[in-house]
Amino acid sequence: MDFKVKRKSTKTPATGNQFELYPHDLQLYKIPPVENITLQEFETLALERVNLLRTLSTATTLRGLRLNSEEFVEFVLNDLRAQGLKYYAKLCEKSGCGSTKADFEARRKDHIAHFILRLAYCRTEELRRWFIARELELFKMRFAVMRGEAVEVFFKLNNLCYTTISEDEKNEVIQNLIESTPYSKIDNMKFYKVKFFEVLDLVKARKVFLNDGYAYIPHRDFISVLAAQYRTHLKQNLAKACHHLCEIEQDERLVCLLKGLHQSYSGNDYSETKAVIPIESLDSISTKSFPLCMRQLHEQLRIAHHLKHGGRLQYGLFLKGIGVTLEDSLRFWREEFIKIMDLDKFEKQYAYNVRYNYGKEGSKRNYSPFSCLKIINTNVGPGDCHGCPFRHCDTGVLKNKLIGYGFSHQVVSDIVELSKKTHFQIACSKYFDAIHNADVGLGINHPNQFFEESQKILKGELKVQPKKENLVKKDIVDSIDAMDFDEPLE
Amino acid sequence: MIGEHNENILSDMLPTYYARQFPQNIFCRWLACGSSPQPLCNRELSFTLADDVYLRYLSISHQKDLQTLLQKKCPHKLDVGAVYNTKPSVGRHDAVVISRELVFDIDLTDYDEIRTCCQEARVCEKCWKFMVIACEIIDKALKDDFGFQSILWVFSGRRGIHCWVSDYEARTLDSPGRGAIADYLCLIVGGENQSKKVHLGNENLHSSIRRALNIIDKYFEQLLQDQEFLATDKLNSFLKLIPDDALKSQVETTLKKMQEPSLNKWNTFINIYENYCRENGNVIRKIKYLIEEIKIQYCYPRLDVNVTKGFNHLLKSPFSIHPKTGKVSVVFKSANAKNLKIDEIPTIYSLLDDSVAENNQHETNMKAAVKIFQELVFALEKTEAMRKRSDANTSLDF
Repeated sequence: MDFKVKRKSTKTPATGNQFELYPHDLQLYKIPPVENITLQEFETLALERVNLLRTLSTATTLRGLRLNSEEFVEFVLNDLRAQGLKYYAKLCEKSGCGSTKADFEARRKDHIAHFILRLAYCRTEELRRWFIARELELFKMRFAVMRGEAVEVFFKLNNLCYTTISEDEKNEVIQNLIESTPYSKIDNMKFYKVKFFEVLDLVKARKVFLNDGYAYIPHRDFISVLAAQYRTHLKQNLAKACHHLCEIEQDERLVCLLKGLHQSYSGNDYSETKAVIPIESLDSISTKSFPLCMRQLHEQLRIAHHLKHGGRLQYGLFLKGIGVTLEDSLRFWREEFIKIMDLDKFEKQYAYNVRYNYGKEGSKRNYSPFSCLKIINTNVGPGDCHGCPFRHCDTGVLKNKLIGYGFSHQVVSDIVELSKKTHFQIACSKYFDAIHNADVGLGINHPNQFFEESQKILKGELKVQPKKENLVKKDIVDSIDAMDFDEPLE
Repeated sequence: MIGEHNENILSDMLPTYYARQFPQNIFCRWLACGSSPQPLCNRELSFTLADDVYLRYLSISHQKDLQTLLQKKCPHKLDVGAVYNTKPSVGRHDAVVISRELVFDIDLTDYDEIRTCCQEARVCEKCWKFMVIACEIIDKALKDDFGFQSILWVFSGRRGIHCWVSDYEARTLDSPGRGAIADYLCLIVGGENQSKKVHLGNENLHSSIRRALNIIDKYFEQLLQDQEFLATDKLNSFLKLIPDDALKSQVETTLKKMQEPSLNKWNTFINIYENYCRENGNVIRKIKYLIEEIKIQYCYPRLDVNVTKGFNHLLKSPFSIHPKTGKVSVVFKSANAKNLKIDEIPTIYSLLDDSVAENNQHETNMKAAVKIFQELVFALEKTEAMRKRSDANTSLDF
């Protein structure tokens, strides 16, 4: 990494050859910047880009907007403008190849800021993953808004030469292309043939025709190829940057800034806890302070005396996160499991995994409890009870469950509606309000955050306005007739 | 009939099995080929000894090592792991995984919610058909869509099948790549709390799904008869797969009055469905592929995707003995899956005791399985040699 900040700061150098440096709004960040900048600019640029990436993360994970949908683009642009990040809004709005002074300045900031964040986010696997995900969203968004000539210029500038398949070859597989490419008017499209691993996102979503190891993609899917290359490029370079961190960290002025950058934003990963929760209290605490995903696992464990692997992992790590000790954890799982199996079998097949979760076996890593994002996107297969109940439950099942807990019909239908509209985390927030009989409107992104916030309220550390009409007396719904048994799926 | 399976005498019989029946030479060549360009000794092997003692991070440099190791430790189960950048016993937790066959694990327990003949560890001729369909669909997709050639199918020893893809491209595929293939092949998603697990939308059906449906259609009626998916006591779970209320109640009223067999009920259901769609053009979007979705939920392979996605998941080796059944994890040809009969699969007892009635036939079957393994390894060695040659050529160009 030849990116350095000199101790002697100077003013921004004369524009010089900015046209050669920054001919296009969209960059692939192949070459690091070499100019000198002030410490202040260094800090501002870094913070501004973190804010940009945060905006993207809010849009996709918190709001659940589909990447590049109209609402997504609108939300991002508005949010950027509201934060005074006009130059990013401009870059994200059209991605062209204009040549005004403002154009060059925006591209320059974009370029420098990207490389600063590489330094801040190369430290851990977790940070890298977050950074790569956001930068890719940014890249895809900017590629998608690019129009006509700008696209051609972009391909030319970056030496992206791919040739299309011949008409004959296309006609041979035309039926398959029509079936497997999610666009109409296939006839007029030019197709490219690339190896399947260049477009994994399309393969994963089954949105491309595959034959003999090759994927047939139309021009507009080319973003998948580029994004995959960009991802690899970023991954390698973050690893490289990480190796060179010690050189940069000799400059103590930068260390604090770079290290602090993510902490203020990416939140707690809940891998360390201070409180100790005795397992005897889990039954009661699970109804008061557990998010529904964990409450459901807890109940399932009590009923079936067993959880499948995914459930043990999700619940086990959560328990660790709220402060159940390893010894207690072992005891807790053992007491349930031995109701249906020999102690010997438990010790041999399951105890290892419990200790593993606590970093005592295998690679001895202290694993973090899963976040909502991870849980929502997890694989849930036949027989599994883990995952996010707002996403992985049939409407009828979810409804019955909530009615069974004694929530009012209004609350139940609110939560069910939100789940149907795929606002899983907002549904969870409603559930939080319902069990606390309050109107907190918490933004939930981690089950352990749910738990901690709940504990704060219960211990009176956090005052909330109680709501009156939320909880219906339990005995009203105890009659079976009130339960809606077979609510069909919408 | 072969005597009751007994884990205690396994320890006495295994040394003989490893010495006389286990195809050590071919096994080592398969491993070596699948490890290159790393040396064989960078491949992790893992043993399960008597009383579930696990030995991980073992490795061998050549066949002689394997022979000694097998005789010394006498593993009840033999697993194959990933290829590391160093000898796994030296690197342990710091070793980095370089490559690994692309693997698939399909287990009949994942079919428990739909199969009616057996549950859990049990398996019979009827539910084995699920494995036949799974094998055919996955095999075809791997060959036609992904262009893979070296595909090894192995009976898992009890109630499932494993698949190992040894092509260089598959072995060096990274985790996201494995995940993408697994997701591409996985159509059934959802847990305990979701009844309907297949959603095909209303756009065109992807070519691979169409092909899978054609394969399913070959077996569907037979399965319907075998499993009686629509038997009176199963009808409720069937009805839950119909997302449209009006259609559902129509089907419910009619089918509840009908007698078995399920095949009749199924045909009636299709009639009702078709009429309903004709009369209600506006609902067609939601239930356009309902028939296909139901067929897939009942017949499509249920992959354990975590096994495929993981880079260093240990998987039971071909020709290892299943410690609970004594059965050999035989290799078979995908085209031949339907002829594989569970009780014709050789067991350690039938192979080593020539007084049992099945001895002769099982020995023949064992030989046939080894031969299939051999053919695959020869082909793999040839491709590997060609790849190395062309690699050498390209590197000379620079």
